[in-house]
Amino acid sequence: MKILYDWLKEFVDFGLAPEELRSRLSLAGIAVEGLEQTAAGPLLDVDLTINRPDCLSHYGMAREVAALVRGNLRPAESLLQGKLPQSATSAADTVQVEIQCPELCGRYTARVLRGVTVGPSPDWLRRRLEALGQASISNIVDATNYVMLELGQPMHAFDLDRLAEHRIVVRRANKGEKLRTLDGVERALSPEICVIADAAQSVAIGGVMGGATSEIGPASRNILLESAWFDPIAVRRASKDLGLRTEASMRFERGADPEMAELASRRCAAMIRELAGGEILAGVIDVYPGRRQLPPLELRRAELLRVMGADVPDSEVQAILGALGFQPRRVDQTKGNPDSPLAVWQCRQPSWRQDVTREIDLIEEIARHYGLDKFPPRLHGSKQPAARLPHALAEDRLRERLIGLGYREITTIPLVNEDEDALFRLDGVAPVRVKNPLAEDAGLMRSNGFVSMAHALAWNLNRGQRNVRLFEIGRVYEWDGARPRELRVLSLGATGHAREKGPFESERAYEFADIKGDLDQLGELAGGFRWRASSVPWQSAAQSGQIALATPGKGDGPTIGIAGKLATRVADRFKLRQDVFLGGFGLDPFFAAVRDARAARHYQPISRFPGVERDFSLLLAEGTAFSSVREAIAGLGIAEIASIEAVDLFRGKNVPAGKFSLLVRVTFQSHHTTLTETQVNAFWARIVARLEEKLGAALRTA
Amino acid sequence: MTIPIESAGQTLSPLGASTPEAVAERFAALRADFDAAAANIADEAAWKALRDAWAGRKSGVLTRVTEQWLKTASPALKPVVGQELNRLRAHIEASIEARRAAIEAGADVLAATRDRVDLSLPGVIRPVGSRNVIRQTFEEIERIFLSLGFAVVEGPEIETPYYNFEALNIPEHHPARDTMDTFYIETPPGADPLLLRTHTSPMQVRTMEKQAPPVRIIVPGKVYRRDNPDATHSYMFHQVEGLAVDTDITFCEFKGTVEHFVREFLGPAIKTRLRPSYFPFTEPSVEVDASCFACGGSGCRLCKSSGWIELFGAGMVDPAVYGFVNYDAKRLSGYAFGLGVDRLSQLKYGIDDVQLFFQNDVRFLRQFA
Repeated sequence: MKILYDWLKEFVDFGLAPEELRSRLSLAGIAVEGLEQTAAGPLLDVDLTINRPDCLSHYGMAREVAALVRGNLRPAESLLQGKLPQSATSAADTVQVEIQCPELCGRYTARVLRGVTVGPSPDWLRRRLEALGQASISNIVDATNYVMLELGQPMHAFDLDRLAEHRIVVRRANKGEKLRTLDGVERALSPEICVIADAAQSVAIGGVMGGATSEIGPASRNILLESAWFDPIAVRRASKDLGLRTEASMRFERGADPEMAELASRRCAAMIRELAGGEILAGVIDVYPGRRQLPPLELRRAELLRVMGADVPDSEVQAILGALGFQPRRVDQTKGNPDSPLAVWQCRQPSWRQDVTREIDLIEEIARHYGLDKFPPRLHGSKQPAARLPHALAEDRLRERLIGLGYREITTIPLVNEDEDALFRLDGVAPVRVKNPLAEDAGLMRSNGFVSMAHALAWNLNRGQRNVRLFEIGRVYEWDGARPRELRVLSLGATGHAREKGPFESERAYEFADIKGDLDQLGELAGGFRWRASSVPWQSAAQSGQIALATPGKGDGPTIGIAGKLATRVADRFKLRQDVFLGGFGLDPFFAAVRDARAARHYQPISRFPGVERDFSLLLAEGTAFSSVREAIAGLGIAEIASIEAVDLFRGKNVPAGKFSLLVRVTFQSHHTTLTETQVNAFWARIVARLEEKLGAALRTA
Repeated sequence: MTIPIESAGQTLSPLGASTPEAVAERFAALRADFDAAAANIADEAAWKALRDAWAGRKSGVLTRVTEQWLKTASPALKPVVGQELNRLRAHIEASIEARRAAIEAGADVLAATRDRVDLSLPGVIRPVGSRNVIRQTFEEIERIFLSLGFAVVEGPEIETPYYNFEALNIPEHHPARDTMDTFYIETPPGADPLLLRTHTSPMQVRTMEKQAPPVRIIVPGKVYRRDNPDATHSYMFHQVEGLAVDTDITFCEFKGTVEHFVREFLGPAIKTRLRPSYFPFTEPSVEVDASCFACGGSGCRLCKSSGWIELFGAGMVDPAVYGFVNYDAKRLSGYAFGLGVDRLSQLKYGIDDVQLFFQNDVRFLRQFA
C-alpha cells in the first residue's frame, strides 16, 4: 500500500516529519518499507500484514497516525462538506437492486447520476493517482479509484444505459456462464462466484472486476454507482479460481468495512458531480442483508497484566483505544480510581476492525501503540529439566567419528527426480509423491539417501573437486500401508584418492576396503557390524555387501545397511566419470544398538603376561573367505588365542593359479602364566592341522 | 692433493744456511708453505693428506726436516735449528688440530641442517571432515535453549492440514495460507489429505495434545514452501520452532528469552527490538530485529540503512490455539517463535546465496569445519 504523507494531513494533525512517521509506524506494526519524494509529496511504501485491511486507505492509515500521536481523527462525514445536492427524482424509481445470494454479498448500495460529461481529470487528481501508481482513466473512473484510496471502499461505476431494465441482480453465476471483464479477458464463471447482473446477463464479478459491456466510455451520460460489501472468503475463492487479483478483490478478501459503503458512495457521487457535472438522483438504494450488531468487547486490566506482565496507565489505554475507534468506557466498581487494578473497560468493536473481536485483540492494540520497548525483559526459571533428543548422544558419537574419518557433512533437499530415486530404491518400497511439484526433477520425496549423495558427488566432480568424502544424516520417506513413514538414515559417498600425494607419502585411490573399514569403525559404536554378500542393481557385482548388526550372543542381527562401488550404468546416469563408493545404514536400529552397546560396556582385565605372535602363511583356494579361516581356528577352542588377524593378501608370483596366499597372524596370551615355546608350538601345530583338514590349506614355506 | 713444498718435499735440500738469520728465513718459508696448504683444507680427506704430508711419522715434512736439517746442522747452529723446528712443529700440530676441529664442526652443521625439519612444509595431513554449517547453527540454537531448560522434540515433515493449519488458527481460505504456498502429497483416493509442513509449528499442537503444561520445547527440522528457488528462497529450508506455556509467562518473560537468545547467538553487544507484526497463531505477534552487526546500527547495505536486521517472527501464543488442545486459556499463557536456521546462518557468516547450503560444494563445506 502506498500512502501520501500530505493526504494523511487532511484527516489528522500530527507533527511527525516523514522519516519520523516512517519509524513510528513501523514500531507500531505498520511496516514502512520505503520512503520517497513524488510530485504529490512524500510517499510511504507500506507493507501491511494481512489482518489490517482497515489500513488499505489513507483514512485508515490516518487513524493509526492519530493513535500514534494520541490525537483525533477527523470524522469521515466531514469530507462531504455539507448535504449532498440531489435532484427531485428518486433513484429508487429509476433502478432496482436485488441480492439473491446474501451469503456472498452482505450489502449493495446504488446511486444514480444523470447527465454527466466523461472527460479527463483535473491535474491535482491525476497527480495523486499517478503518485500512487494508478493510471488516470477518466474523471468518473478516477473518482471511484480516488475514493477507494481515500476511504478503502472499492467502487464501481456502470453505464446505466447499458444495464438491461436498469436492474441489478446480485446472484451466483450460472454454470457455464461467461463474462468478458474490463481487461478484455473472457472468463468462465462457476456458481461459487458472485456476479452482478442486469435483467439479461452478468455485468461484473462481485468484488473483483467489472464487465466490458457496461464499462464507462466517453459517451456515457448516466451512471449507476455501486458501493457494496462482499464476503471475504467468496471473493478470495473467486479471485483464486479466476487467477485475477485486483485492488478491489484485495480489499474485500481481507475484509472491507460494510458500514463504509454508503458514506463512500455519497463521497464519490459528490466528487463525480463536481468533476463531471450532471445531477445526483435523490436517495440511495441500500440493500443490506448482512447488517450485524457487533457485541461489546471488554478489557480488564487484570488480563492485560496477566498477558503483558507490566502495566499501562489508564490515560494511555483510553487515548489509544479511543483514537482507534473503540470508544473505551470504564465500567467497573472502582471507576473513580484511575489506574485501579480492577479496572474494566467496555469497548465497541468498530465495523472496520473485523480482526478485533476478543480481549486479547484489544491488549495487542494497546501494546503496539504503547510501545513494546516499554515492557521490561525478564528471564523465567524452568520447572522441568532440559532434554535433548533421545538419540542425540549416539548421533554426536557417530558424527564425530565420521568427521574424524574424513567425511564432510552435507545437507540436501529431499525432493528428487523419481527415475533417479528408483535406481537406488529397494524392492517393495512404495515412494511418496508430491501432487504439485515445482519441477519434474523434484516430484518425489526420496526413498533413499544415495540419490542425493550421487548428486552431491557429481556437483563436486563437475567443478574439479576430485577427492571427495561426504556424509549425510537425513530422512527418507515411504508408504507404510496407508500412512507415510519417515526414517532416519546415514549415507556415505566417496570418490578419488583416499590419500593424496605429499612430500612424505604417496597417493592411494579410495577403494571398497576404505568404505568397508570406515563403516566398520562406525559399527564399533553399535557393537560391531557383520557383512554379507549382496547385490542390488546399483552396486557393482564384485564390490558390494550388506551390513547387519552383530548383536553379540544372539547371532547376526537384522540387515540395516549396504555398501558398494557404484555400477557403471548408474554412474553414467549421474555423469560420474571416476569410481564412486556409496554406503549407509538405517539410523533408528543403529542408535538403538549404540544405546545397548553403551549400556553393556564393561571393563575387560588386561593380561599381565606377554602375548606371543605366530604368522601362518597359507595357500588357499580362490573363494575361501577369511571368516572361514578365522572360524576354523577359533573352533579349536584354544582359550589362549587372543586375536586372529589377516595381515597380508597376495596373488601372483610363486602362487599357483586358482590359489591365493593369505598371511594370518594369531596372538596367544594367557591371563595366568607366561606361555612357553613348547605350548605355543603345540597350538601352532593344531592350527595348521585344522586348516589343512577343514580348508585344504597348505602352509607356504618362504 | 699436492703439498706444494719444494723446500720440504723430496726436494727438500740440505739446510745450506750458515747464519741464524738464514735458518730463521728457511723456517719462515716452510711455515708460509704450510699455512698456504692448510688454508685450502675443507674436508676430512684433504685434512688427512695434509696431516700425512706435514706431520706423518715416516716421511712427513717435520720428520724430514729433523733428518735433513737438524741432524746435519753444525753444532753452532743446532740449537737455533732445534728451536725453530720446535716452534714449527708446535705451529703445525696446533694448526692441524684446529683444522680437524673446524672440519668436524662443519660436518655437524651440515648434518644438523640436513636433518632439521622444514617447518614451512606441511606435515602429513590425515584428512578430517567437517560439520555442516546448518547443523552447527542448529546445535548453537539448541545449546542456548537447553541452557534455559527447553526440551528438544522432533515431528513429521509429512503433515496433515489440521496440524499445519487449522489447529494453528489458520482455517481454510485464511489469507495467511497465501504466504505459505504448500506442497501436497499424492494420497490414495479417498484418503485424508497430507502436505509437506510449511513450518515446524505443528509440533506445538502435537506436543500440547500429549503433554500437560508446563511446556518448554524447541523443534528443529526441515520445512517446505512452494517458492521458486533463487538467492533468497529455497523450497526447503530449516526452522527451529520454540514454545513455552505455563501459568506465569507474560510478554516480559517472552521478551527476556528472545533478547537472551539474540545476545548469545550474535554477541553481547547486539541489541534487540520487537516490532509488532501478525501471525495467526500468536498475539501479540512480533518480528524480532537485531541491531545491525555489520554497521553497528549506523546504517549500511546489509540493514538497508535502517540499522536493524529482521531475524525471526514470534509472539504470545494466541488463545485460540489453546482451544485446539484443551488447554485452559484463562489460566495459561506462553510464547512461541520460529527461527529460520538458514537465514540466521546466512546473516552470521555473510552467505549471500541460500542455494550454497544445498549444493554441498566442498570448497564451501570446508570453510565451516
